[in-house]
Amino acid sequence: MKKFWRVWLLIVLTGLLTLTLTAQVLPKVPRGDLLIVDALHGRLAKTDFNIWKPATQAGNGIQQALMDTLWYVDPTSGEWINALAAEPPIYNEDATVMTVKLRKGIYWSDGVEFTADDVVFTVKTQIEHPGFNYSGTFSAYVKDVYAKDKYTVVFELKKPYPRFHNFFNVLIYGACYIMPKHVFEKVEDPLKFDFNPPVSLGPYVLKDYDKAGYWWFFERREDWQRTSVGMVYGKPKPKYLLFIYYGPEEKKVLAQAQHQLDCIFDLTPEAWDVLRKRNKYSMVWYKDFPWAWMDDVAARGLCFNLTKFPYNIRQVRWALALSIDIKDVIISGFNGIERLAPLHEAPTTAFMKYFDKPLKEWLEDFTIQVGDEQFKPFDPTIPDQIAEWAKKQGYNVTMNPEDIWGIGWWKYAPDVAEKLLKEAGFTKKDGKWYLPNGEPWKITLVGLPAEIDSARLAFAVADQWRKFGIETNVETVEAGVFWTRWSLGDFDVGSYWPASASGVSDIWPLYQGWHKRYVVPTGQAASNNQIRWTSNIASDILDKMATLKPGDPRLMELSRDLFKVFVEEMPYICTVINKKFNAYDQYVWTNFPSAENPYMSTAWWWGTFKFLLPFLEPTGRAPSEEYKK
Amino acid sequence: MRILKRYIIPRIIQFFVVVFVGITITFIVPRFTPLDPVQMTINRVASYGAQYLDAETLEHLKQTLTDLYGLKGTVFEQYVRFWDRLLHGDFGPSLAMFPTPVMEVISNSIPWTLGLLIMSVLIAWLIGNFIGGIAGYFSEKRWAKVLSVIAATIYPIPYYFMALILIIVFGYLIPVFPIIGGLSIGMQPSFSFGFIIDLIKHAFLPSLSLVIVGIGWWFLSMKALSSTTKSEDYVQYAEAAGIPQSKILFGYVMKNSLLPQVTNLALSLGGVFNGALVTEYFFAYPGIGQTLYMAVTNGDFNLMMGISVFSIFSIASAALVIDLLYPLIDPRVRYR
Repeated sequence: MKKFWRVWLLIVLTGLLTLTLTAQVLPKVPRGDLLIVDALHGRLAKTDFNIWKPATQAGNGIQQALMDTLWYVDPTSGEWINALAAEPPIYNEDATVMTVKLRKGIYWSDGVEFTADDVVFTVKTQIEHPGFNYSGTFSAYVKDVYAKDKYTVVFELKKPYPRFHNFFNVLIYGACYIMPKHVFEKVEDPLKFDFNPPVSLGPYVLKDYDKAGYWWFFERREDWQRTSVGMVYGKPKPKYLLFIYYGPEEKKVLAQAQHQLDCIFDLTPEAWDVLRKRNKYSMVWYKDFPWAWMDDVAARGLCFNLTKFPYNIRQVRWALALSIDIKDVIISGFNGIERLAPLHEAPTTAFMKYFDKPLKEWLEDFTIQVGDEQFKPFDPTIPDQIAEWAKKQGYNVTMNPEDIWGIGWWKYAPDVAEKLLKEAGFTKKDGKWYLPNGEPWKITLVGLPAEIDSARLAFAVADQWRKFGIETNVETVEAGVFWTRWSLGDFDVGSYWPASASGVSDIWPLYQGWHKRYVVPTGQAASNNQIRWTSNIASDILDKMATLKPGDPRLMELSRDLFKVFVEEMPYICTVINKKFNAYDQYVWTNFPSAENPYMSTAWWWGTFKFLLPFLEPTGRAPSEEYKK
Repeated sequence: MRILKRYIIPRIIQFFVVVFVGITITFIVPRFTPLDPVQMTINRVASYGAQYLDAETLEHLKQTLTDLYGLKGTVFEQYVRFWDRLLHGDFGPSLAMFPTPVMEVISNSIPWTLGLLIMSVLIAWLIGNFIGGIAGYFSEKRWAKVLSVIAATIYPIPYYFMALILIIVFGYLIPVFPIIGGLSIGMQPSFSFGFIIDLIKHAFLPSLSLVIVGIGWWFLSMKALSSTTKSEDYVQYAEAAGIPQSKILFGYVMKNSLLPQVTNLALSLGGVFNGALVTEYFFAYPGIGQTLYMAVTNGDFNLMMGISVFSIFSIASAALVIDLLYPLIDPRVRYR
């Protein structure tokens, strides 16, 4: 009998061992040569490499590994990278002609040389085929585009536009990538072409992909020296890249804890807390509390439809801002992990330098009229207060609180808020606020549960406003509904993220949409200015900015003036930056950017990611063909 | 002829009415939701890097997309175009994966779901009914009561919870099964032993989660049915006549209790076109359920309709087939 059980035990153990060895989902290449990245868009039921079509998703490795364009600017470091272009664009005096000098010696992965003809072809193909992402843009701006010689492209523009180059400049996520002329010119209908197999201009080629849509596997080009990445920073260290979608975050945590997922897009703070305790090699940005990467280029705000009463009244918006105890929101809603955004931009490292810190003094002196008195609403001490709280919780705070939590926010001043509302005709009875017509004031705050910080902000602020005496409910809706209501203006108050940032100080490309000319009636879809803000002063400033070339010193002054108008008018209440727990595992690869070494953004989903790869270093902990010791 | 006129033809007419009404509702409902696929595509374009698209040209893009997506005209005009395309077997392009035809997206996903769900439903049905039937017949026995408690405990467990337990146990603590996908990276479909093993290995955990929860339901329902059948006069008479217990159990009790279970089985199989959304999501299994979820979250009207039409058609067909087969397997229907 004993023998029988021993045999059974042996069979079971052998079976388990065999299954364990074959349970790996990873490709059969040495782990030490492979970098595994979380696929941003999740599963793609159909992979299409023709990313110039509007519905095509490029963030699952296609733009990071295969695509390239003329320039990139890293939002964290602010570094300008000449990629396919040899130098920055050259404009004529009135900005109606842009000349681009291209790098020599860049080749497509099939051995065809990249030349000015590819750039010209890209622009002309977009113009000729309505439906491509940049068709409308290039039709509106480009009078003619031609190759002056093999490495020089000339754009003649229909009207002066000194920022035309931004269409080929990855400031955030992506831009117009260059099409291979020798491939697309043979295609009858480029809009129906799936560009499969893709020819690469990036440092990798597609080796295989999952038709069911869960992974995309890339191999470094043997001629990586003939790519912009190779020329600018050298060899991308991982020989292979795998972009993979593991499913919900619980599985991503499990995968990274097993060293089967090097870079995760974003985790909830709770998931990160589990992961850092399971895997000592996992890191995000700060070595200690608050860990998260706070340089994502958007900030969350409490947005009002400004055509609706009472949110069309400036005092009401200011009263709502002053009735929020932001320290309480940050601590109770986000466990202290958020950077404050008092200005209407995303306070990234670069934007803090350009705007927040230079405007701090102005903010401290800024006043609003409350009755016959002037009230200074700005409180620069909040970051220090949060840092104190963190220390009491036992966390290490090793950096300057201002660099982590921002320069400050609005004071918690419910007494002032009360005065403002009463001035506007509101009344308060038995602790509840009533509209000037005597009806109870009820706010429905729209949030997006899939975007956890949007929902948390909504709930935390709703709690604050309820405490203040306003009947506030949170309505959470699915992403499709959330964004459609945003564009239609179908909300009173919503937890959206209208403020943005980039690596360059020229904010006009990001802020042009706030011009009053884009205001449309509620119920009509708006692609810009969804809060329907009609500001003559802001529009005048934007008009002045439009005429200036990037780099003009007057731009910085006008940008700061624009932010002052935002603060004075408070069209929406900007609250906190979009933080991310984009965790990376340093078990196989190291030298990822961090707060201590912030050489680049840790945004694996942006096109800029390809320039980070040469900086990675193998740790030697995993077997490698390439990095044998 | 009488059965044809009084039973078969009315049911076939009913089938077509159900399909027509179901498809019409499927067409109308998404259009009354706040979803706007054009605006959602623009939002995506804007949030994924093309935010430097000039504000005026975004408006131009909106017009172009409305055109390309076939969303021009009134809802009635769109409805007429929809039926015209449908009768030609064309659901139009997927809006979220434009211009990939909806049929291509569905045909990429459906084999995975069919394989996973048909096997899981059949296994759960066979095991659940077999054990449930016996437990119902011997309902006074201690082991039958224990089994009932176990089934009643398992049945209400949400799929996602069961999925998570299995993932943690067999994907992390004892990592013997893959936790993602339908096949290993690099595995090409073929009739080889390696391919089949790989396929089974990837489907094992999702299937197990469905089978465990499914068995609970089939067990409880079959136990209730066979307990009732056991007290029927003909069973009492058979016992009094001294017919062997095994024959009473399988030939009298289980056979007669199975009829509603067969109907439920048919409806469950007809419903496989809905996919197993939660299971597929958790196990990152490439089935139609997750495709439907993607279609809903992306406002992909055409894909939603394509999947729903398949689903309506398959459930209605399964009900029709069962209705038509009933006179053959249940004499009581023939004599009504």
